[in-house]
Amino acid sequence: MKFIYQDLLNFLSEQPSRRSLSKKLFQLGHEHEIIGDIFDMEITPNRGDCLSLIGLSRDLNYFYNNQDICEIYDEDIEVLDLNFKNLSVESCPKISFLEIEIEEKITSYKPYLENYFSKLGNNKTNFFTDISNYISYERGQPTHCFDRESIKKDLILIDRVFQDSFKTLLGTEIKLEDKNCVFMSDNEIISLAGVMGGESTSCSAKTKKVLVECAYFNPEAIIGKTVKYNLNSEAAHKFERGVDIESQEKILRRFISVVKDHAPIKSLRMKTFTYKDFDEKYLPIETQRINKILGTRLSKEEYTNFLEKLGFEINDEVKVPSYRHDISSQNDLSEEIARIIGYNNIKSIPLKLNTISKSGHSKISEIKDFLIKNGFSEVINFPFTASEEKESILIDNPLDSNRKNLRTSLKDSLIENLLFNERRQKDSIKLFEISDVYLNEEDIHQEKRLAIIVSGRRGHNHEDFSKKLDDIYLNEILNLNHNTSIFNIEEVNREDLKTKKKEKIYYIEILVEDIPKALYLDKHSKKDLVNFIKYQKVSEFPVSARDFSFSIKNLQQYNIVISHIEKFHDKNLKDFFIFDFYLNEKLGEIKVGVRLIFQSPLKTLSDEEIQKSIDRILKPIINLDGVFIPGLEFK
Amino acid sequence: MSSMDNIEPPVIKKNIGTLHPINQTKDFLLELLSKIGFEEVHGPEIESEEYNFDMLNIKKSHPARQMHDTFYLENKRKVLRTHTSPVQIRSMLNSKPPFAFSSAGKVYRKDDDATHLPMFHQVEGIYVDKDVNFANLKDLINQILLNIFGENVETRFRPSYFPFTEPSAEVDILSEDGMWLEILGCGIVNPVVLENCNIDSSKYSGLALGLGIERIAMLKYGVNDIREFYKSNLDFLDQFK
Repeated sequence: MKFIYQDLLNFLSEQPSRRSLSKKLFQLGHEHEIIGDIFDMEITPNRGDCLSLIGLSRDLNYFYNNQDICEIYDEDIEVLDLNFKNLSVESCPKISFLEIEIEEKITSYKPYLENYFSKLGNNKTNFFTDISNYISYERGQPTHCFDRESIKKDLILIDRVFQDSFKTLLGTEIKLEDKNCVFMSDNEIISLAGVMGGESTSCSAKTKKVLVECAYFNPEAIIGKTVKYNLNSEAAHKFERGVDIESQEKILRRFISVVKDHAPIKSLRMKTFTYKDFDEKYLPIETQRINKILGTRLSKEEYTNFLEKLGFEINDEVKVPSYRHDISSQNDLSEEIARIIGYNNIKSIPLKLNTISKSGHSKISEIKDFLIKNGFSEVINFPFTASEEKESILIDNPLDSNRKNLRTSLKDSLIENLLFNERRQKDSIKLFEISDVYLNEEDIHQEKRLAIIVSGRRGHNHEDFSKKLDDIYLNEILNLNHNTSIFNIEEVNREDLKTKKKEKIYYIEILVEDIPKALYLDKHSKKDLVNFIKYQKVSEFPVSARDFSFSIKNLQQYNIVISHIEKFHDKNLKDFFIFDFYLNEKLGEIKVGVRLIFQSPLKTLSDEEIQKSIDRILKPIINLDGVFIPGLEFK
Repeated sequence: MSSMDNIEPPVIKKNIGTLHPINQTKDFLLELLSKIGFEEVHGPEIESEEYNFDMLNIKKSHPARQMHDTFYLENKRKVLRTHTSPVQIRSMLNSKPPFAFSSAGKVYRKDDDATHLPMFHQVEGIYVDKDVNFANLKDLINQILLNIFGENVETRFRPSYFPFTEPSAEVDILSEDGMWLEILGCGIVNPVVLENCNIDSSKYSGLALGLGIERIAMLKYGVNDIREFYKSNLDFLDQFK
């Protein structure tokens, strides 16, 4: 909900600055942003009563004294003779109608009405609909205007299953489904009650006589309709959150005043249909209970004063205002008191929990520790999949058809993770996920599973570089210490994966409960504290790798070379490692192979830029006596 | 002895893997709650409407129960839990006060855009005892935020709305650039929820809090795009070793 700062000030006797007003709105729980004169409010769903200027001014009364200086038409009005039947009393226990006709066409709006459109960016429609929208902004109660000439016969409000098409006043054709509360006339649906009127009875610039409907609709009758039919309806938003059941006639009288402000009125008739009396709500005055909930020491006078300022009537009990659908308990009242005091102004009282927590490492965290220490990285995947198995659980309302089932295995997700990293030129991939899979077998249930996937080189060091991540490797770390192979290792068929890579992929999936303690027992150590590093954005630019083989013939230089390598640094150097070490005793020579990996966070590196980096990195080593890189010359 | 005998191959640094940063943050928060006195409890991700909504005072007309907010399964027989609160309901039904439970894990909402994901993680805590009040809640929240963000953290409590707590609050912290950032939701457990769990609300009261783990992880690590966490990119994950 958006409002104009000056518009709200009209309903406050004090005139707070934008800053003061903003501070108090936050204190009361009304989040917002301010852009110039406009306050863009985010009202919580329980506070439908605050979706208007009047509503917000009531809530601000304690701080700024609210006032309603708007003219409300107070003369006697002739009773409307309307052939109306309400067959939907549960959805609509109270409804008022106003028939109003004006003498002449409207040429311009008064500033308060004009500003509502120009400053808030609302589109004008026609005179009566524009007033209806303005009244909703000012008072929080939606109204709907039917072109009076378009309703020739009866008017019925009915709540039943429809499968008809309905064209809204915005020209959108919708197909009604299931139960809907609608207005009908002459067997035609003319309005989706509380949501949007229809095209056939809508007003136009020529309309001079309207039937204004002003109702209390139960939120249950309205909720979900806008989403179901993809409609944007301010009225539905308000009805879903609850409007004031006692306000309908006053709203229509205000409607008359606004019309009268713009044009001479030719005729006026009004009628209210009340089917159920509003149950007034009373709560006992329990100051001590409020203090116990909040941890405060309020007097009864302070308590009653706060509530009175919020519109509650205090006698022997607390009478809840008809617009406050959210108040039904002492806890609700305590929140009202706390909002006025200000949550920040309630002093903390030290809390020591009267409990003993059981701590210790869980099986899952032990398994994770074991895998991480062996170089595996944990991934987390979404459970949604297009793939449908016999035991798949179907999502009734999926995000899209590619995510209509819950996964029954972690395999597809991990293969996707592996291929993603291969495409990013990763040549040694070890991933795991511990997650639930979801199954519809005898019943709907879930199972926690561990999945592991590997492919590529065993590691980036001179011992592992030429070895592969394969079933032998997995058996060594997972199955070796068991009498039987607990972990069933499966080779994933590359041919199905549309990838040019040839490295074999191995996969394991196992129920967590089937993993024996022997895997991780006695291997755990005290958990490290989390180190919240500052993350560097991952570069999306290409990676370039360059391999160099150092020939060290002056053996005394060996340790110096290694020491240099360990300190390699350059802004374009992403990673480096020694992938080869060979000691040739016959020739008295050591060969050290180094891979340098370049990537810039800002751009694709040119060969020239990479070469410059290589020169900077390697020159200190090449300058050493008896150290060469065969075939490499520095400029 | 030849000079070759003194040559040692380069030291092999063992390559360790990474615990996912979301789980690192989750473990950190659970550890923090455990030190305060909360016991970790677990529960299913596939839930009934009764535990996910009804027991938590989320009425049939509440927007959260609509098909556009909640994933329903197998002709509305079940839901994917929209919060970890049903875990606490299940634990409360089997316990007598005083107790303090923490629960953490994946939750699901039907949302998918630049700032919202259909799956994310929450940590929640609930403490029920005699005479637990809002002023105690403020103390607990301050303890938690101090541990997460350090001594100089400036906090703001403001009213909010959750059907399962009353009064309800959202807590903001002041960022380095002077902006208030929403960090967690909390409140005094609604007596209706206590009664639903067979706890006498005239004798006992409770406090509850919930944090979005992604939110905390983004702030602590400086990750600006929530989607980064779920790309399974080793260049990303390797930074959190």
